[in-house]
Amino acid sequence: MPDLGRLLREKNIIFVTLALCLLFFLISPRFMSVENMSAISRQIVPIGLIALGQFFVVVSGNIDLSMGMGSVLFAILLGVCFGLTGGVAVGIVAVIVASLALGFLNGVLVAKLKLPAFIVTLSMLFMAQGLSGLIIPRGQQIFLMGGFFRFVGSEKFMGFYWSFLFLVVLFVLAYIVYNHTRWGSYVVAIGNSEENAKLAGINVDRVKIGIFMFSGLCSGFAGIMLSTRMGFVQPGLDGNGLLLDGIAAIIIGGTLILGGRGTIGGAFWGLLFIGVINNALNLLNVEDVWHQVFKGAVILAALGANWVLWQSRQAEAH
Amino acid sequence: MTSTAMASSAQNTKKLDGLTLRYLVLIGLIVIASVGFSFANENFYSLTNIGILLRSIAVLFLLSMGMTFVMLTGGIDLSVGSNVAFSGGVGVIALTTTGSAFIGFAAAIFAGMAIGAVNGFFIGRLKLSAFMVTLATFALARGLALVIYDADSINVSNQTFLWLGGVSWGNMPVVIPFVALVFIALSVVLYKTTFGRDVYAAGSNFATAFVLGRRPEKTLVWVYVLSGALAGLSAIITVGRVSSGQPWAGLYLEFDAITAVILGGTSLFGGRGMLLGTILGVLLYGIIINGLVLTGTNPYLQSLIKGMILLGVVLLDTYTQRGKTA
Repeated sequence: MPDLGRLLREKNIIFVTLALCLLFFLISPRFMSVENMSAISRQIVPIGLIALGQFFVVVSGNIDLSMGMGSVLFAILLGVCFGLTGGVAVGIVAVIVASLALGFLNGVLVAKLKLPAFIVTLSMLFMAQGLSGLIIPRGQQIFLMGGFFRFVGSEKFMGFYWSFLFLVVLFVLAYIVYNHTRWGSYVVAIGNSEENAKLAGINVDRVKIGIFMFSGLCSGFAGIMLSTRMGFVQPGLDGNGLLLDGIAAIIIGGTLILGGRGTIGGAFWGLLFIGVINNALNLLNVEDVWHQVFKGAVILAALGANWVLWQSRQAEAH
Repeated sequence: MTSTAMASSAQNTKKLDGLTLRYLVLIGLIVIASVGFSFANENFYSLTNIGILLRSIAVLFLLSMGMTFVMLTGGIDLSVGSNVAFSGGVGVIALTTTGSAFIGFAAAIFAGMAIGAVNGFFIGRLKLSAFMVTLATFALARGLALVIYDADSINVSNQTFLWLGGVSWGNMPVVIPFVALVFIALSVVLYKTTFGRDVYAAGSNFATAFVLGRRPEKTLVWVYVLSGALAGLSAIITVGRVSSGQPWAGLYLEFDAITAVILGGTSLFGGRGMLLGTILGVLLYGIIINGLVLTGTNPYLQSLIKGMILLGVVLLDTYTQRGKTA
């Protein structure tokens, strides 16, 4: 039986999200239309992949700042491979290999060399940004056409986009791994106390490298989804916005930023919350310049709520 | 990292020796980099170019000095670049509505301090992780800047407001002696006041500092406010340099500042480092960046190189430090 506080927290974000939906519906009835709902479901896919990878990193007490720019780099890598071969198979394999390699590199630098995760991944952010502009001829866009991009980007199955279904399947798998496997409990243990995890005989380094490889892979998937949705790739896509949205989703979903606590369900509701906000800001014709203010404020508010959470955890412990 | 500001004098001399060696290496690298770029560009050594170089990194000097305080406490401030745009926007709006340059100056600095106070409150009082909080204000301050400017730049013609960033005495931009003055003032604060010792204490061992009654949580708040105030000053200089306020000013400057501070020998884990090292770090990093710009390097290649420099320096530091403690 899950403990009551956790259930309540998850329900909080559910209520807030539903209340927001109702509010937006009252302001603009178009918000609740089927078309708009499925538009939201497609918009949240790249953010959701970032959030999912980041979730494990944050629960283990780390951060991966390279995920946003990483996914831009991988989208462009896919585009370049597509341009060279005219097919997607090579591109997808290249993206998966490259994203796992980036994650492995992050993981080794953090776990083996004991470098702070935010500095390692910050430098990777800049290298990814640099590479994304170097592997594509300057000032060019690559247009992505063909069955795969149309299928993933705009085909539906039983009313749901395939990309959204892919995201849901990944969330379910992550839920099972996080809650029902030993590896999942290792992640939580490391987030609570690395020392204790080591004493308990957990191979901390290996788990950490695995976590970063997973977050790398997620940014690879996010890159693929990004490219299918837009139909073209170019350097200078807003990778940092994607990163911030992903982090906001999991913090809003009640993941403790100090590590050691969080739920996949909460992360998913946090993701829906971000999706609804993003969509409504566009639908209600809120000026672009306000979007970032809003997001920064939402993250800051969620951090405040996180503090309350932390306090209650301290109180529980005593 | 066991050496604290309160450590014995023997330990202090030993710590200084390590840093002195690093400073000599930095000076050597600065000379090598200057010679290298003088081959690539024959104008590199002209007095005019040195003036231009120093002016272009004046803002980085200020932000890096603030970042040094922050990192000495073991923190990080990712919001300073966005804060330059935000406080610049507030300053320019205050200037254009009141017509008084001094109200503009004050508004810019107060706006910078306000962002710093938000950071300080969440990090010092609520004890949330510094990179998370300042990542939020990184987005927030940039967003506010875009709102203030309505995503467009505003031209400024008030000569008093532009003086600090725009005027030169001969080949010497006035901002250079100004940066030197700030350096001297901050050195006095860091080495000659109790607040300075509190900064080292908070970074060396927060719990011990707390037990000793040094109120490290309060120190943290003020450190971020200081960093914000320097961002406000930088905003005034940035506006003065280009005669206009820009919503995208200072983009990714926090990254340059962090790299320069680490280059200057300040530990990522707090408690160890000096302002002089930061000055040398900014000089070396500034010469490299300026050289890349002068030689017309692809901006994407520049950001790849920047990322490699940061990672390389951190790797090198951790490697050498671990060698010492082992």
